Amino acid sequence: METKSYDLIVIGAGPAGLTAALYAGRARLKAAIVDENLPGGWMKTTHLVANYPGVFPEIHGRDLAKRMEDQARHFGADFYTAAEISALELQGAVKRVVLDDEVGLEAKVVILAMGQEPRKLGIPGETKFKGRGLSYCATCDGDFYQDKDVVVIGGGNSAVEESVFLTQFAKSVTLIHQFDKFQCSAIAEEHARGHAKIRMYLCHEPREYIGQDRLEGVAVQDLNTGEKKIIAADGVFVYIGFTPRTEFLKGQVGLDARGYIQADDLMHTNLSGVLAAGDARVKVYRQISTAVSDGTIAALEAEKILREVK
Amino acid sequence: MTQEINQDQFETEVLAADLPVVLDFFSTECPPCEALAPKFSSLEEAFTGRVKFLKVFRQGNRALAEKLNVTGSPTLLFFRQGVEIGGRLSGEIKKSEIKAALEALLN
Ligand SMILES: Cc1cc2nc3c(=O)[nH]c(=O)nc-3n(C[C@H](O)[C@H](O)[C@H](O)COP(=O)(O)OP(=O)(O)OC[C@H]3O[C@@H](n4cnc5c(N)ncnc54)[C@H](O)[C@@H]3O)c2cc1C
Repeated sequence: METKSYDLIVIGAGPAGLTAALYAGRARLKAAIVDENLPGGWMKTTHLVANYPGVFPEIHGRDLAKRMEDQARHFGADFYTAAEISALELQGAVKRVVLDDEVGLEAKVVILAMGQEPRKLGIPGETKFKGRGLSYCATCDGDFYQDKDVVVIGGGNSAVEESVFLTQFAKSVTLIHQFDKFQCSAIAEEHARGHAKIRMYLCHEPREYIGQDRLEGVAVQDLNTGEKKIIAADGVFVYIGFTPRTEFLKGQVGLDARGYIQADDLMHTNLSGVLAAGDARVKVYRQISTAVSDGTIAALEAEKILREVK
Repeated sequence: MTQEINQDQFETEVLAADLPVVLDFFSTECPPCEALAPKFSSLEEAFTGRVKFLKVFRQGNRALAEKLNVTGSPTLLFFRQGVEIGGRLSGEIKKSEIKAALEALLN
């Protein structure tokens, strides 16, 4: 297997990773940045970004992502995209990352910036009905459900906003939420509550996806009475929050109980030469601006570590 | 570039194909579809001459999507000698999952 040597390997090319690669490039470090998808992270799929300072008027997320990517490339970072990590060694002085069992990368410093992914419910039927009625993306799949009945699970901004979005296709939208109040903005809630096509089941929890060849409904339980019922649905959209993409680090890097990477204010993890940045870290506010900040600090610390070991 | 077909070509290009076929139903405004594209192309190269790679635009070919019960984008379907084989892959798909499915399709 071919092995390439770098000063620094960045895993994840969202705003945190792209910023780290940019700073590393400007510091004349040889940096590789790896992403299993295309660069941009969540920024790329956010329709409009209106709160990134200095970028005004608001910008399409994909355009902001492209600018950050171009900037990192301009300063010399090597991109490895649509590439999956098949092996990872973070413990020793030289860190190794293998991509698709084909290419090996090694470096003295690694920055972990994998962000988060939508959380799954973990109830029976999840695997069986994925792509057969079960979806995590309303803009991808909403128009499949023209004049059909759909269920949305969740109670935050995404769940409530996507419910309203789905009413342009669906005959009915049933919103199922485990608590007695939504955790979304007042505006989003107002839109949903006033909508003739949207029905709400608060204090209800999904228990199972039901159907033969394709999804036909969801079994739910009323948390107040314990009563169970089946809500018929041609499609179910799940928006129940996020979970960090750190499964593959277990046993190597210190994680909290929910899987977020434990790193200090200077982004150092429990392993020397391994830093973390962005949404995958334990932190309170997850925004593009805070991801960019983490990426900056991690790259500057990487530079310092490399200066010391040289 | 992966060859794109429409629903009228499904019989000839997929069901009557000599090679095993992987068919990608994709949509516009679909981040996981965009993420799949580069993985799909790189595997297409790796499997040249062994598996035929095709894609079909789902919004433009609704009848076929409905007939095949495809309700999410992207969805990958695998065919051998006119018969659908194995499980489907849908949503965020890993390159290693596709590779495993293609190898299974060849065995
Ligand atoms: C719907 C939505 C709307 C949002 N809107 C805004 C907004 O308007 N303004 C704002 O400031 N913030 C917004 N945010 C939050 C913001 O997008 C995130 O805080 C930010 O993108 C985090 O950056 P990141 O680089 O840490 O992670 P991410 O953006 O999640 O990027 C991580 C990258 O790592 C890659 N990756 C993951 N695992 C691996 C692996 N094992 N191997 C290789 N690559 C991997 C992923 O493919 C991804 O590209 C929004 C978030 C969502 C979900």
